[in-house]
Amino acid sequence: MGLGGGKETGAPQGQNPSTTPKKEKKTKKMRRKRKKADIEELKKEVAMDDHKLTLEELSAKYSVDLTTGHSPEKANEILIRDGPNTLTPPPTSPEWIKFCKQLFGGFSLLLWTGSGLCFLAYGIQSNYHEEVMKDNLYLGGILAIVVIITGCFSYFQETKSSKIMESFKNMVPQQALVIRGGEKIQVDVQNVVLGDVVEVKGGDRIPADLRLISAQGCKVDNSSLTGESEPQSRCPDFTNENPLETRNICFFSTNCVEGTARGVVIATGDDTVMGRIASLTSGLTVGKTPIATEIEHFIHLITMVAMFLGVTFFGLSLILGYGWLEAVIFLIGIIVANVPEGLLATVTVCLTLTAKRMARKNCLVKNLEAVETLGSTSTICSDKTGTLTQNRMTVTHLWFDRTVYEADTSEEATGTVIPEGSDTWYILARIAGLCNRADFKPNQERLSIAKRTTTGDASESALLKFIEQTYSPVSKMREKNPKVAEIPFNSTNKYQMSIHLREENSQTHMLLMKGAPERILDFCSTFLLKGQEYPMDDQMKEDFQNAYLELGGLGERVLGFCFLNLPSSFSKGFQFNTDEINFPMDNLCFAGLISMIDPPRAAVPDAVSKCRSAGIKVIMVTGDHPITAKAIAKGVGIISEGNETAEDIAARLKIPISEVDASTVKAIVVHGSELKDLNSEQLDQILQNHSEIVFARTSPQQKLIIVEGCQRLGAIVAVTGDGVNDSPALKKADIGIAMGISGSDVSKQAADMILLDDNFASIVTGVEEGRLIFDNLKKSIAYTLTSNIPEISPFLLFIILGIPLPLGTIAILCIDLGTDMLPAISLAYESAESDIMKRLPRNPKTDNLVNNRLIGMAYGQIGMIQALAGFFTYFVILAENGFKPNDLLGIRLHWEDRYLNDLQDSYGQQWTYEQRKVVEFTCHTAFFVSIVIVQWADLIICKTRRNSVFQQGMKNKILILGLLEETMLAAFLSYAPGMDLALRMYPLKITWWLCATPYSFLIFVYDEIRKLVIRLRPGGWLERETYY
Amino acid sequence: MTKKEKKSFNQSMSEWKLFLYNPTTGEFLGRTAKSWGLILLFYLVFYGFLAALFTFTMWVMLQTLNDEVPKYRDQIPSPGLMVFPKPVTALEYSFRASDPASYEEYVKELKKFLKPYALEEQKNLTACPDGVLFDQKGPVYVACQFPISLLEGCSGVNDPDFGYSLGNPCILVKMNRIIGLKPEGTPRIACVSKDENIAAVETYPADGIIDLKYFPYYGKKRHVGYRQPLVAVQVLFVPNNPGKEVTVECKIDGSPNLKSQDDRDKFLGRVMFKITAHA
Repeated sequence: MGLGGGKETGAPQGQNPSTTPKKEKKTKKMRRKRKKADIEELKKEVAMDDHKLTLEELSAKYSVDLTTGHSPEKANEILIRDGPNTLTPPPTSPEWIKFCKQLFGGFSLLLWTGSGLCFLAYGIQSNYHEEVMKDNLYLGGILAIVVIITGCFSYFQETKSSKIMESFKNMVPQQALVIRGGEKIQVDVQNVVLGDVVEVKGGDRIPADLRLISAQGCKVDNSSLTGESEPQSRCPDFTNENPLETRNICFFSTNCVEGTARGVVIATGDDTVMGRIASLTSGLTVGKTPIATEIEHFIHLITMVAMFLGVTFFGLSLILGYGWLEAVIFLIGIIVANVPEGLLATVTVCLTLTAKRMARKNCLVKNLEAVETLGSTSTICSDKTGTLTQNRMTVTHLWFDRTVYEADTSEEATGTVIPEGSDTWYILARIAGLCNRADFKPNQERLSIAKRTTTGDASESALLKFIEQTYSPVSKMREKNPKVAEIPFNSTNKYQMSIHLREENSQTHMLLMKGAPERILDFCSTFLLKGQEYPMDDQMKEDFQNAYLELGGLGERVLGFCFLNLPSSFSKGFQFNTDEINFPMDNLCFAGLISMIDPPRAAVPDAVSKCRSAGIKVIMVTGDHPITAKAIAKGVGIISEGNETAEDIAARLKIPISEVDASTVKAIVVHGSELKDLNSEQLDQILQNHSEIVFARTSPQQKLIIVEGCQRLGAIVAVTGDGVNDSPALKKADIGIAMGISGSDVSKQAADMILLDDNFASIVTGVEEGRLIFDNLKKSIAYTLTSNIPEISPFLLFIILGIPLPLGTIAILCIDLGTDMLPAISLAYESAESDIMKRLPRNPKTDNLVNNRLIGMAYGQIGMIQALAGFFTYFVILAENGFKPNDLLGIRLHWEDRYLNDLQDSYGQQWTYEQRKVVEFTCHTAFFVSIVIVQWADLIICKTRRNSVFQQGMKNKILILGLLEETMLAAFLSYAPGMDLALRMYPLKITWWLCATPYSFLIFVYDEIRKLVIRLRPGGWLERETYY
Repeated sequence: MTKKEKKSFNQSMSEWKLFLYNPTTGEFLGRTAKSWGLILLFYLVFYGFLAALFTFTMWVMLQTLNDEVPKYRDQIPSPGLMVFPKPVTALEYSFRASDPASYEEYVKELKKFLKPYALEEQKNLTACPDGVLFDQKGPVYVACQFPISLLEGCSGVNDPDFGYSLGNPCILVKMNRIIGLKPEGTPRIACVSKDENIAAVETYPADGIIDLKYFPYYGKKRHVGYRQPLVAVQVLFVPNNPGKEVTVECKIDGSPNLKSQDDRDKFLGRVMFKITAHA
């Protein structure tokens, strides 16, 4: 069996969608049925045995002649059977479904319910009464409009982000060189079929999964699949049981870096290893974002409050003798009044503002809700290659003259401190520059050296750049010392040799060699010290060993360099034969060692330490080797200084690992092969007991398992990565972060956020912004919810006390969708109260966006004061117009009777219906204005949750603008001509504006005292009960 | 977040029970008795303080009010017009002359309403000079007599059924009281029947004159015994044309400062009612 285990008998996985519609339907159905089983299947490791087969068996299995390939007819047949060699694009939901998700998701549902209830109430009323107040109809309509507008708004926001995504896509069609019927032909990659014999050369993209038949110096870059930063050499030999490690398999969509190879296609399209990962990614179900969970929790709370109030007053109104029908209308009215109409828009705008701010800092957020997720993140699982590191080999250390020199590895490396005038350095640099097949691609003179692209092997390129930067232009050096012969590097020799004409004496040659240090040392009988040759001694050999171990222990790849000035008998014109060596190649002179690594990005260590101080655990999950992984982890601080793994401790104390006290070990490096044998409890143990974890040699499936493990422990997990191998984990994570420049399309598709500059440090910005918006949303919601009480209580007292309605629906809408809007949004601009990067991530279980304390504060305390302010204004206006408070109780039925036009006030005057209604609407206006006035104070107290306003200051300009705007709007609504007809708002006397001011002042003073007590007695009762 | 398995019904029930009362921690609805006590005490004190504050501000506000005249009267610059008796719902009267029960309620109410207007009830009131505003300086304010005889056939003196039994029902029209209102000119209430073929109307006093001596009004407290001037409208259905309904409209006329036309307020200086006389 090949790739997909038992899948071959059924319809092939990557069925061509364009075959026949009937077939498509059938496969779709089957696929859906098997989808769940498939995901479990895909999560397992790749199982294949093609790499173990001999060429004959291979030929038989795919019934293909390995020299002539398929006949074109047969290839065609297979193409029709299996479908084209492409990845099935992830199922994208149609635009209208995306739109509907915006319209009916989360918060919107609450508003839709409210809207529906309004229409229901209106329906009931119009059925039983002839003349109906149209309030409910309007309210229902406006609620619907609010949802639709906010829905459209967030839909357009997200389309905008995804449009930026589209532009990343690479549209260039790829070609492959296939042997069919004995002839080499170029075909489109999508037409490559199973069993095709394919030829690839350096620079090509591998067109399908290949089992190699032959190879010449072939190297492939598997970094997008396995995360290994170094190119891997490929040959036809079976070298490892693991198909991902064996040398004779090349994988679809990886790159051939150099050399040529010929191979048989063993899997195409979705059956390829890459395809399996892509299908795994698109098949994963993703959990809710933390903010969605929070909003759901909030809706629960609000609904509970609404139901409680509604049912209580339903009962009360029945007891008070209202009819069933009226009581039902009241019930609906109360429930709807609890819906914060403006909050959906406020939350959306706040999130959008943050998303924009983050986009300016190069964090592109694909999904608005993901804006906050980073703030809640408690664990970051980061890929190494390309995320933490620069994904290019760079020279880091040199060892010559018995000294280790460090090279500058920053992205913009300009020069390195190399001792001037050292002759050894002069020779070493020449060997590195000349015995080197890498070269710069043309036309890049304007770019800095570090940014130029090169041809050839990664380590040779690293040497080339290094010499170019620190010594002299390599091209000139090569011009002066033309190469006359060369033995290229191969895995058996483990060295590379070249012979050049000498610059100072153009008649003689020099032999230059580089390679694995131990091999190089074998060739040498002397060594260079300060430009002088000395015979090799044990002291030198020991130094060499130490240096080699030291550099190797840093996870670096070490190369040795040596040379030999050929005697004059091999002068110019001598024909060097590299096959049958006709020149001396021993007793060379050892020059030095150069080591290189894919170095960490400059900003990463700082970012990691910031994450750590913010209480976020940073875990490295990489496909690379443990030593390299550990070295980088130490370099960037994922394993912090002074922390040792069990192996380190064992080595230091010279005791077996089993004797190391496990409880003292905080750091661990887990190998993929160990991980494979762990069950989930053991994985949980590892994740729980260690603060500094590195997972090395992990497969994409294992990355997924690690993410799931973290989530199982209750963490909110962010995953960063750029390769295809990261994409399942990216998708499964609470927030997947892909790299914008180096990231593969698959990873970008799976991610929720994209770092446009590939800078890991941007994550810190994201965390900061996410935490800030969470805090500020709390404030915003607290502000918005507070005015709910002065909005609901008039209706409740209208029912209970039978007083004329103090505040009408229109005025409520003017508050929720008018005056409260900008101030609530302005709280999103509020700066943090303390260093939010110094505290632990919030606990998603206990630290909710909206909790009982927030509701208690908003509804129970500040809201109550606000309601009193409104009622005071209301009673003042009615009393000053002739209706004293005592006479108002129970007046409702008479007041509302439109045929009772001689209602008597407390002074014996008589009022027509319309006259008293004007007074009532004046009261509504005044109540509305009072709410605006107490909301001033509310806005100012909501700026901070712990600090005093005097500490926080009034630097938020938008907030000041909001204060002015709501006041102006209130004045406009009250005094603008025509408002009496349009919104039934009436002009107020100046004194009526002042009624609420004492209450406004009270709110401010009360909350300042409350916050003072909270600051003075941290952890005290008041904090436990009122700090939200 | 990892997916949680759906809780079974029993599990969620026991969770609820634990929430209601948790015997191990002694928590009732998520709080211990002490915690409940503290939070209730907090809110008791808090609301007690708020109630006291509210009461205080209300008290201060009430101190600023004048007992005799409201602070503002600009909301009622012009009086409304209203009929009496007021039907339960809309201003639609219906009766059957042959069926006393059908108008019993109206008659009862009219009698009750006119009781203060009886001669002996007005004994202590002043007979004021006709045709001029009766300005008073106080501190004692007197009320002018309104002789019920002005209502003639609708006074209830001669006809205890106010014309209902004869098919010519009486309805009282009155102008709303407004403190300090001084009508200009010679205000009268002019009533017209919308269809003279069905019914004619007769107003008492003649022409629906409202004498200026009843103005201005000084308010319930100062102006004790004030009798609101009334105008009676008798709807005279054309005989042999029973089972008809007629709409009557009354308006204030003859006074330039009393409005009788407003788009919104259908009762400002006017009133319209419908009477159905069943066969």
